[in-house]
Amino acid sequence: MPVYNFKGMKPVPTAPELVDIVLMRTQRRTPTVVHPGYKITRIRSFYMRKIKFTQQTISERLSGMLTDFPRLNDIHPFYADLCNTLYDRDHYKLALGQINTARSLVDSIARDMIRMVKYGDSLYRCKCLKRAALGRMCTVLKRQKASLAYLEEVRKHLSRLPALDPNTRTLLMCGLPNVGKSSFMNKITRGNVDVQPYAFTTKSLFVGHCDYKYLRWQVIDTPGILDHPLEERNTIEMQAIIALAHLTCSVLYFVDISEQCGYTIDQQCSLFRSIKPLFANKQLIVVVNKVDQQPWESLEEAKRAMVQGLADDANCSLMTMSNLSEHGVSDVKAAACDKLLATRVDARVSGKKIEGVMNRLQVFNPAPRDGVTRGAFIPDSDGVTDGDVDMDGGNIRKTARELMWEGGGPGVWAPDYRDQYDLADDSWKFDKIPEIIDGKNIADFVDADILDRLEALEREEEQLVAESDAARMGEEPESDLESEEEAAVEAIRARKKIIKEKKLATNTQNKPMLPLSIRGKSKDKHDAGTLLATEIRKTMDSIGVDSSKMLERGRLLERGRKRERSLSRSRRGADDEDAAMDVDVSGLSKAALKKIKKEKGEKARRDLSQARSHSRPREPSQMGLKDSESVKSAQKLDRLGRKGWMGASGEGDTRKSVHLVKWMNTGKKRNGTHYQR
Amino acid sequence: MPQHEHMERHAKLHGRRFDAEERERKKEARMVHKRSEFAQKVHGIRAKLYQKKRFKEKATMRKTIAMHNERNNKHADDDAVADGAVPAYLLDRQGVSRAKVLSNTIKQKRKEKAGKWEVPIPKVKPVADDEMFKVMRTGKKQNKAWKRVVTKCTFVGDSFTRKAPKYERFIRPSGLRMRKANVTHPELKTTFQLDILGVKKNPSSQIYTNLGVLTKGTILEVNVSELGLVTTTGKVAWGKMAQVTNNPELDGCVNAVLLV
Ligand SMILES: Nc1nc2c(ncn2[C@@H]2O[C@H](COP(=O)(O)OP(=O)(O)O)[C@@H](O)[C@H]2O)c(=O)[nH]1
Ligand SMILES: [Mg+2]
Repeated sequence: MPVYNFKGMKPVPTAPELVDIVLMRTQRRTPTVVHPGYKITRIRSFYMRKIKFTQQTISERLSGMLTDFPRLNDIHPFYADLCNTLYDRDHYKLALGQINTARSLVDSIARDMIRMVKYGDSLYRCKCLKRAALGRMCTVLKRQKASLAYLEEVRKHLSRLPALDPNTRTLLMCGLPNVGKSSFMNKITRGNVDVQPYAFTTKSLFVGHCDYKYLRWQVIDTPGILDHPLEERNTIEMQAIIALAHLTCSVLYFVDISEQCGYTIDQQCSLFRSIKPLFANKQLIVVVNKVDQQPWESLEEAKRAMVQGLADDANCSLMTMSNLSEHGVSDVKAAACDKLLATRVDARVSGKKIEGVMNRLQVFNPAPRDGVTRGAFIPDSDGVTDGDVDMDGGNIRKTARELMWEGGGPGVWAPDYRDQYDLADDSWKFDKIPEIIDGKNIADFVDADILDRLEALEREEEQLVAESDAARMGEEPESDLESEEEAAVEAIRARKKIIKEKKLATNTQNKPMLPLSIRGKSKDKHDAGTLLATEIRKTMDSIGVDSSKMLERGRLLERGRKRERSLSRSRRGADDEDAAMDVDVSGLSKAALKKIKKEKGEKARRDLSQARSHSRPREPSQMGLKDSESVKSAQKLDRLGRKGWMGASGEGDTRKSVHLVKWMNTGKKRNGTHYQR
Repeated sequence: MPQHEHMERHAKLHGRRFDAEERERKKEARMVHKRSEFAQKVHGIRAKLYQKKRFKEKATMRKTIAMHNERNNKHADDDAVADGAVPAYLLDRQGVSRAKVLSNTIKQKRKEKAGKWEVPIPKVKPVADDEMFKVMRTGKKQNKAWKRVVTKCTFVGDSFTRKAPKYERFIRPSGLRMRKANVTHPELKTTFQLDILGVKKNPSSQIYTNLGVLTKGTILEVNVSELGLVTTTGKVAWGKMAQVTNNPELDGCVNAVLLV
């Protein structure tokens, strides 16, 4: 269901404004710097972009207008007709049509000019073409001056139309001017319509809303209608006629029986007759107004009969009312609403959609079995009906917070929590508790056996400590060094520390250090490795340490382990035999035994035929390394270390080798060229 | 929710501020200063636009003021007869408005000037070949340079069929082909968009004429049947000459003046 709200329409700029908007936008949103030295393709695309962008902006703007403005064929006929009378349908359509053609014109101009720019061979030419294109587009816009101005006026007016929903529950007032329609509107809604004692105070449709039976009702006040043919009606009257013609609603026809409005009852009745066709299929009530001035009962018989005749003719009810004394105002409203509601519900029920709902609806109203009344049952355990809880006339008891606010708010009144104490005797609840009695602190005596428990705790802890001590006794806590040796170790460590610090202090180079193991094995003649035997001997001798043992150990370490002789072949075969003998042969069948024997024999033969395993010397690079892991790390360190050693600036200094090999990339090629063959 | 003329209604119901008129007056009085401030501050294209707008406003203002002023310029008053006797050398003097004479002479001069030449644009800058044609390199290795592309707008007749590309020396790009011209009728002072029938003469070169190149000063034949012009013999004129007045390759359209 579309909602008819025309307030969201964007303002329509005037033609010069629109031109300004478009050109400014192009200027701000596209690149502005171009030089004749640029490649011609770049220059062309620069200007093409400008043209395209301008066209897009214009297109966007105009399309926005076209979508914003309601299309008269698509909207509710009430609004379509209203627009027709207010803005003239032809004019409206023409204006929108012109906007549409302007848009397509601009599109085609842009297309043509972009095609021309594609052939531009200089900046000047491209620029001239761009200028021409923008100028032509703007001229098209300028031509729309009148349409744009008209549309802006229409937009302003449309946005101020009341948000009237043609499909909702509606009450509609009609009648001659000055009969009290607007006064009634103001009585039942907050529409705040102008009320003045002269004709045509209300010049257009006004909408208000009221509440009835928890539903929202739309109330429409119309301008007065004069009694003359349709062709002579002016725009103001036509609005009322359109509302009457297109809205399904409850109509209140107002008759002023005091004739203060300036029209006789006769005239009012003849208007009723002339617009009676518009009341078809609507709920009609003839409202006799201003009975405070001229009571209905004391009206002349003839006039009364005439008014009554109207109601009888149209087969509708007649109600008396006065806006001044408020007599019957709410009755009229209620009657009109009820009538409309009844027909709307009827229409719903008789419609097709209802079936889907009705199928699912079933209302049961069981017949009473006997005369016993069965009231609501509230269980006693609920707390609400508990005997000992304070009941305030059957209400739920008050909370402490409510009581606090009643007693004067926080800080003034606080609840007494003592009444919630759970004691052996309730009468003790509010007894005073002293702090000190007979020079003794009561708090000390609250827990009578506290000392006993403290003692138990301490005992437990002692026991735990003892246990843990006992567990530790089993281990060897001390090192096996003698005190003399220990002192030596201390001294060594101290010396080491001093050496390290000294080195740190005197060290001037800031380079990554090579690991000692690598440097030690170095083959550089200028820097003999520190692990070289001669070097070690020299340094150690200078300190006065016997180096022979040290060197011996080093050699051992470098080799990894003592060299062992590999076992001889015969020994090995004997061992295998021993192992094979372990197989439990008892309880096996003859065939199985035979099989085992055969296998053994084969194995021995195989072993003998195998070449003797050589104890090959290790590869020189892996000499002295324990396992593959250390081999790997040694290789890595070697690689890294070599880098540093061979003259690169550091480990991070990775050189690239020649990647463009000259012989591959120069010279003549056999088949074709270097690029193509 | 406000409906219809809610602002006016509010003013009617509750009145306006007591100083509303005063504020309006002040606002208007300040407007001058505001404007001048803006005019001094603004620069660039906005300044140009603003000054142009302001100039127009001022011009209309001056015109209206002049219109309201008492007319004090001289104008023709034939019945202004000098009182009393007039010397002989003043006898041939008539009451003639100076302004009128002036304007008449100017018109006369213009007419003479216009009559001197037969076409609206008598002289055109010749267009050199290398400006007119762009060399198009062809061949498998792009090493042949005998083809030419016309860089100006051209008119290509309906019956034109391309030669085989191998033999086509001059290429007239379809993007630069024009079929219509905006032709101004100098006497009617109106402009029509008319079909081009053919290029009669391109003043720069005969080749250009044959190729149908449209440059400034080119003489075209246009279809004027829409105009309903009648020849001296009473037939409806169909084709008429017109001269191009703009550079079509710069403007993207052909403007021409009808030669009558
Ligand atoms: N005495 C009396 N005057 C009324 C009553 N209703 C409206 N009027 C007056 O009639 C005049 C016109 O009322 P208005 O509501 O503008 O009529 P409308 O033209 O039908 O909208 C106003 O001066 C009201 O004060 C009524 O019930 N009794
Ligand atoms: Mg009214």
